[in-house]
Amino acid sequence: MKKTHILGIIIIAVAIGAILTTLNSTSTYASFREASEAPDNEFHVVGKLDKSKEAVYDPKTDANVFSFYMIDNAGTEKKVILHKSKPQDFERSEQIVLIGKAEGDEFHASEILMKCPSKYNDGKPQASN
Amino acid sequence: MEYIGEHLVIGKVGNVFVILSFVFALLASVSYFFAARDNDEAPSWRNIARWSFRIHGFSVFGIVGTLFIMLYNHYFEYEYVWHHSNKEMPMRYILSCFWEGQEGSFLLWTFWHVVIGFVLQRKAKEWEAPVMSVLSLVQAFLASMLLGLFIFGEHRIGSNPFTVLLREHPDYGAIPLFQNADYLKLLDGRGLNPLLQNYWMTIHPPTLFLGFALTIVPFAYAIAGLWKKRYTEWLKPALPWTFFGVSVLGVGILMGGAWAYEALSFGGFWAWDPVENASLVPWLTLVGAAHLMLINKNKGQSLFTAFALAILTFILILYSTFLTRSGILGETSVHAFTDLGMSGQLLIYLLFFLLLGIVLLIVNWKHMPRVQEEESIYSREFWMFVGAIILLVSSFQIMFYTSIPVWNKLFGLKMAPSKNIINFYNSWQLPFAFLVTMLVAIGQYFKFKHTAPKEFVKKISFPVIVSVLLTALFSWLLHYTNFLYILLMFSSIFAAVANFNYITHALGGKIRKAGASVAHIGFGLILLGALVSTSKKEVISRNTSGKSVENLIENMSNNDNILLTQGDTLPMGNYYVAYTGKRFEGINVYFDVDYLTKQNNTYTKEFTLSPLVQTNPRMGNVAEPDTRHFLTYDIYTHVAYAPLESVKQQQEATKDEYTAAKNVSMKKGDTIFSSNAIIIFDSLSTQFDRSEYSIGADDIAVKAHIRVLDIRKKYEATPIFVIHENSVQPIASKVDELGLQFMFWKIDPQDGKIEISVQEKKSNIKDYFVMQAMIFPYINILWIGCIVMAIGTMMAIIERLRRSSSN
Repeated sequence: MKKTHILGIIIIAVAIGAILTTLNSTSTYASFREASEAPDNEFHVVGKLDKSKEAVYDPKTDANVFSFYMIDNAGTEKKVILHKSKPQDFERSEQIVLIGKAEGDEFHASEILMKCPSKYNDGKPQASN
Repeated sequence: MEYIGEHLVIGKVGNVFVILSFVFALLASVSYFFAARDNDEAPSWRNIARWSFRIHGFSVFGIVGTLFIMLYNHYFEYEYVWHHSNKEMPMRYILSCFWEGQEGSFLLWTFWHVVIGFVLQRKAKEWEAPVMSVLSLVQAFLASMLLGLFIFGEHRIGSNPFTVLLREHPDYGAIPLFQNADYLKLLDGRGLNPLLQNYWMTIHPPTLFLGFALTIVPFAYAIAGLWKKRYTEWLKPALPWTFFGVSVLGVGILMGGAWAYEALSFGGFWAWDPVENASLVPWLTLVGAAHLMLINKNKGQSLFTAFALAILTFILILYSTFLTRSGILGETSVHAFTDLGMSGQLLIYLLFFLLLGIVLLIVNWKHMPRVQEEESIYSREFWMFVGAIILLVSSFQIMFYTSIPVWNKLFGLKMAPSKNIINFYNSWQLPFAFLVTMLVAIGQYFKFKHTAPKEFVKKISFPVIVSVLLTALFSWLLHYTNFLYILLMFSSIFAAVANFNYITHALGGKIRKAGASVAHIGFGLILLGALVSTSKKEVISRNTSGKSVENLIENMSNNDNILLTQGDTLPMGNYYVAYTGKRFEGINVYFDVDYLTKQNNTYTKEFTLSPLVQTNPRMGNVAEPDTRHFLTYDIYTHVAYAPLESVKQQQEATKDEYTAAKNVSMKKGDTIFSSNAIIIFDSLSTQFDRSEYSIGADDIAVKAHIRVLDIRKKYEATPIFVIHENSVQPIASKVDELGLQFMFWKIDPQDGKIEISVQEKKSNIKDYFVMQAMIFPYINILWIGCIVMAIGTMMAIIERLRRSSSN
């Protein structure tokens, strides 16, 4: 067997390893309901901020806790505890992706991704001030 | 409606350029194709082709110029200008506006291809026709991305930068602003994304896109080599271009890192974001391709792999473009472009060039020259080949994970990238980096063909010993315990030391030949700097202001932010920090934080950092970090949260205004708090000199004695409850030193409780914000490594050009 063949086999093994670990170290997009059914697992939940309910951030008590209500894409609403400081421009977000686990009636998120409409999409034209 | 003052002619001129650039790129490609055939007609075809490409090139310059004129003059009637600029923006960012949008960035890419094409027309000699035929075909595809033509009704080809706002969006006609025929006098643009208003953003994109554009040269030469069946002759002219691409693309990527580090608040120069990966992966394969091409030029081995990687690199550039422009990354990346409806088109181009490459490789596979003897394990070419393959596997791992959204779409899955994405990538890429740096270190100590093992060991032992000692020293200084980190630290130091030793010993200090070694030293330093600054990155903004932690779930506790209240001095890292207040400059709000050191109970101010928040009314608020650079470490700070909703009000508030009254009911001896004092209700009295307060003899009057304590002093407030002709008319009492005002509103005779109201001056309420601060140790090694690598690569290119011109 040539050295290049041995090398080839090693490469293929490593590549398969990369694929398998990739499949293993992904999380899943889910709804709040699915997340509640498997409280030990971490999920990505996509949804919208419920603007009618109160979002609480009191940095004087704890700068690393922020709570609000989110409606997921399946229509379920849940209280969310984000273990981070309140993101800039939170109210303007159009879509939220939370990464975290269900915990009783709440969803505890350690990461948040937001899509703000104004940054990349068209805002309607306005007159200059 | 007839609108007044629209500049429609310039857009038409621009569109003529767009159409010309497309048509003539196509014509150039076809005529270069015929010019590449060896027959009598070839010279006349070449003439046509050359002129077509020139016209194409000048049309592209025309498009670029037209767009600049429109941006410079604020022609907001054009969608692109309106979308990406506004009147307030400083002119120096006009370049950033130019390439903020997809059309502009495609244009930038096309522009560099034209420049490269013009050089190739002069320098490529017998390769001109086939190489330029490939390049012109790519240009035709890219030019079509700007066409904006509709075919078969709904399908639009390209997105045109010269569309007029009101023609593209007829629905805007209903907006009152546009009911006015003279709307241009009123219209302002949306402005540039505040994140891009940074000096790095004026130089990073052109550098990066030049790097992208340069990958077309090895691709075009490889295709030309396969097509003309000149399997090895293409290597020599393509090599300097390939290494130039390695240098420029590498610098471009790190400039992006520098921008992220300076202007973004994710805390670092690299986050394994899909957009970053999309430019890193082609660089890795380009480095692999360049080294394989070198092997083959010297020893005739690895030809097929060299072809494959040169082609793959360009395909990966197209794939990256597809990933970042199609909107498919949507949820996984923060800074991908949105879909402009061109993803289908991009996919077709990608598949076209992929198929072209695969078919040509298969057809030619049997005819490629082969070296029968096997490489010796003691040869340079063997280890260079291994290195290139490791780079390929490493880029495969990155691309496979980055493509999760693509797998989701293809197979209907619901995979989401892991939360610890950085750790995941690092766990794969660290071992790869270790292997590659080891090879970089030992590579040059092997000769081509065969090296006597004894000789190799003799030469390499000195750098090995030096590197082991240095690694031991650094590991001890930096308290390294992670075995993998120590290994990578050794291999990066080894790469730098061994190549330095190679220059001084093996080359006898002949600097002309040292290009490769210098570049390798730079590569080792980049990895060393990246390793140390990220693995020893330390968040120093632990919350020291005493907060409740009971709500926190153990594994989620995220104690990375510090609350800074104006006037307080808190310990942070090796410093004490004091927030002195915010400043308003244009749309920027700066938060001034003093860094103090304490000696013998006296504080000395060392420096001030002012992280800021841009309050762009249309783009939203964006935090921008402020970093203090020292020789051996950086202190990096950014605003995690600031109460900005009330920014306007606070600005306008006069200092003497009081806040809304807070009513409290108190018994004797009760204590309440204001923001700056303790307030105790002591007693009531009715015996006092009424004339002093001009209270009538028939009025009922009761005085409350309230003790007010702050840290230094005791004050007394005496608000008086007065009933004058059946109405309550209390007399206020102020403590001016503390900015407090008391009113006495009610007495409950039954339980002796009184009701008073407390007001504070607005200036009393202390401003605060939440900050994150990190230390990046030795990050300068990374930037120095980048410069060294670029210099080394350029040295190698110059030497190669010098040698080929003297031949």
